[in-house]
Parts: sequence; C-alpha cells; structure tokens
Amino acid sequence: MTEKPHTVKSYEEQLQQLTNNLVVMGGNCETALGNSIKALCNNDNTIAEAVIDNDTVIDNFESQIEQEVVDLIALRQPMAIDLRETVTALKISSDLERVGDLAKNISKRTKLINNNLPDNLTQSIERVGAIVQKQLKLVLDAYTNRSPEIAVDVWEKDEEVDNLTNLCMEEVIKYLKSGKENVEYGSHLLFVTKNIERIGDHVTNIAEQIYFLVNGSYLEGDRPKGSQPIVNGEK
Amino acid sequence: MNKIEAKKVNVFYGDKQALFDINMDIPERQVTALIGPSGCGKSTFLRCLNRMNDVIEICKVEGEIKINDYDINQKSTDVVRLREKIGMVFQKPNPFPKTLYENISYGPEIHGMAQSKDELDQIVEDSLKKAALWNEVKDRLNEPGTGLSGGQQQRLCIARAISVKPEVILMDEPCSALDPIATAQIEELIDELKKEHTIVIVTHSMSQAARVSQQTGFFHLGKLIEVGSTDKIFKNPNQQQTQDYITGRFG
Repeated sequence: MTEKPHTVKSYEEQLQQLTNNLVVMGGNCETALGNSIKALCNNDNTIAEAVIDNDTVIDNFESQIEQEVVDLIALRQPMAIDLRETVTALKISSDLERVGDLAKNISKRTKLINNNLPDNLTQSIERVGAIVQKQLKLVLDAYTNRSPEIAVDVWEKDEEVDNLTNLCMEEVIKYLKSGKENVEYGSHLLFVTKNIERIGDHVTNIAEQIYFLVNGSYLEGDRPKGSQPIVNGEK
Repeated sequence: MNKIEAKKVNVFYGDKQALFDINMDIPERQVTALIGPSGCGKSTFLRCLNRMNDVIEICKVEGEIKINDYDINQKSTDVVRLREKIGMVFQKPNPFPKTLYENISYGPEIHGMAQSKDELDQIVEDSLKKAALWNEVKDRLNEPGTGLSGGQQQRLCIARAISVKPEVILMDEPCSALDPIATAQIEELIDELKKEHTIVIVTHSMSQAARVSQQTGFFHLGKLIEVGSTDKIFKNPNQQQTQDYITGRFG
C-alpha cells in the first residue's frame, strides 16, 4: 500500500529519513557479514580489521535511529502505519546492530586463527554464510519495498539456514575430534558457525517486523525449525 | 449492550444533504468518539441523538434512532423529557448568568426531581462532586457561574448536565477552549462518568479520541467511513481514508 504524503512536509521528511538510515545501516551490515566470512575463509586479517573498525558506524546508526524514533514519538505522536513505521524501525535497528556485533565477533576470531583452515571447513562456512547473506539482502529488499511476501519467504527459509548450520557444526566437530591441535581453532569455528546462525535468526526477526509493519498483524505460527541442533557432539 | 442504535439516518439542511445513511451502534457505559474533518457531519449526527436539530428550521432528519429500543424520532416523543435523559455539553462553556448553585439546581427543579430544599442541596452537591468541582466551589455557591475559569465553567456545565441524571451525555468538542490541565481534568471526569453514563464525544483532537474513548467513528463528507474499537482505528484501521485522516495525510 503506497501512502499519500503527509500534509506536514517536515513530518514526511522525518519518516523518510528514518527509513533511509535503516536501509544504509542494513547495507553496512550486509558488507560486514560478507567481509567477515571472506576474511575468515581467506585468512585475511586486513579485511577482518576493517570489519571490526566499521562496527562503530553500525552502532552509531543504531543510536541515531533510536534518537529519531524518540523524537518522532515525542513530537509527532505517530498513529497507525506511521506508528508501526516508527516502532519497527527501532526494533529492526536493534536486530541489525546485533548482526554487526556478530560479524565483528567473527572477525575478532579470524584474527586469532593464523593458519589456513581445511578446505572442507571453509567451504561449509562459506555455504552457510552465503545463504545467510542472501537472506539478509532479501529482508532488506523486503523492507525497502514494504513487501510482506518477500518477508514471509525469508522467514520460511530460516529452516534451510538451520539445516546448513547443523551440517557445518558437524564438520567443525569432526575437525575438533581429529586432533588435539585443532581444539583452539575448532572452538573459534564453533562460535563462528553459531554466530552465522544467530544472524539468520535476527534476519527472521526483521522479516516478522516487516510483516507487522505492512499488515498490522503478526505472522502466525511457529517459525520453521530445521533439524535438531547437535548437543555434546551427538545428534 | 447497545444504548443507542442509529439506522439509515439521513439529514438535510434544506436541499443540501449533510448525512448519508448512517448506521451506528453506541454501546452502553462506554465512550464513543466521533472524529473527522470540519463539515463532515459528526456534530450533526451528535445533535440527532437528542433532537437538537429540531431547533433548526430547515433541518430534516430521516431514519431511525433508537435509544433503549425507543425510536426518538417519533412525533409523540416529549423532547424535553428526551433531553433530560440525554444531556449535552457544548464546545464553549455556557453557564447560566446565575449563581453556581442555581446553575445546577435549575434542571432538577424544573423536572421536579427534588421534593425539598435539602434534597435539592444534595443533588447540587452530588453533581458538583461528580464533576470534580465541589472542593473548588463549595464555599462560594452563591457567586455567579460566569466568574469561574474556563475549565471550571466547563466542569460546571458537566455538573449541570449530570444533575438531572441523564443516561447519555453528548459532548461537542468539550475541551477545545481549554488549556491542557483543564483538558486532563475533563478527560479524567469522562473516565469516571462512563461508569454510570453512556458518552458520545465529538473531538478534533485525535489523541483525545484515542485517550478517552473505547469506540471511534470516522466521518467524512457526511458518511460514516469506519466505526470500530478505538484501539483498532488508531493502530490499524480497515479503511485507507481513515488511515489518511488519522496520520495527517488528508486533502
């Protein structure tokens, strides 16, 4: 539903600014996630460093958006669609900030891994990383286009993310089991895998917010879950 | 339970039609807010509910308005008794140019509601207490009502309206001439009054409608575009026109 512009132009501009900031913040998160995986798989500390540094930009966007939301609520008292725009912007920015943190954490761990990792591991991580990146891109498209359909697609695809994460976990556990010398890097990789999965979860949270933003109702039913996660190395 | 049921209400001012086929149920002991841009017909509709449009010569009301299942538009309706049951508070406080006491006692007296001076005193006190004005005026009941502040005058008018124990209170922009504190006092009063009375309020303040009412109706160009729970109307209305209006995208 395309809305008519507000009678008060400055209000319209404020809401537009909020959306723009969120889109740019999302773009930064996409880059951070992509680069963090690239840095890990290519053992590239320069890129990892850049991801860590750039996290401040993402954090600043969150503060900026929070401030704008508080201003809108205090000074404009938004209603209906405008209220949903405002409230969901706050929630989405908080999810995106976590995405940035998790990518940063992947990069911090990358800096602690000094050797090239086995190909099968990097491929596994790249595979799950790629699908989560695609999910993040799609959910940001859904936000830009106010498309609940794309949001629902993303939400439903989280199951695939879970399944790939579990496969990746199995690879990492195999690596851990194959020798004591692998314990340190393997442990980092467990966290890396978990971080990627958590990013996937934040993406589905955002998808739910977009659905609410457009429809004013909540996505019903439980989020699709993939295969059971591995506990203590056993399925 | 519905206190008022309006069916296919059409109102004409001469040749000009002001309301078109309005169907609206007004639940008992709740606050119903009527919102919409100027000239949309919300006040005209409010005035239908106690036949205030009768006093406008060129005004013609068609359709059925049932209060307690009784169609008030019947010829046999005693309009004075009707307005005893359905009180009204206007935009601008309009106390009588009489004492505070007389402002309240007038209604109960002409309706023969008090058998003695003591009874009348009690009605005056109760009404002023219900209107949250008693403490401010109890020592100067013989002073003129017009000497009060705007907010106090409006509460005096509410006290006057409730002195005859109406079942319904109609309020036509009761806070538009008041400051935020006086407005908050009236809103608090509305919250209290709804325990015993059914209230219909016309307001231009969207936030006031959201704060005080449980049901909201949105009027535009003489039509009732949407009516529903206040919660729904302000969070996620069904009609695009309603959303455009409440979010300031109109015109």
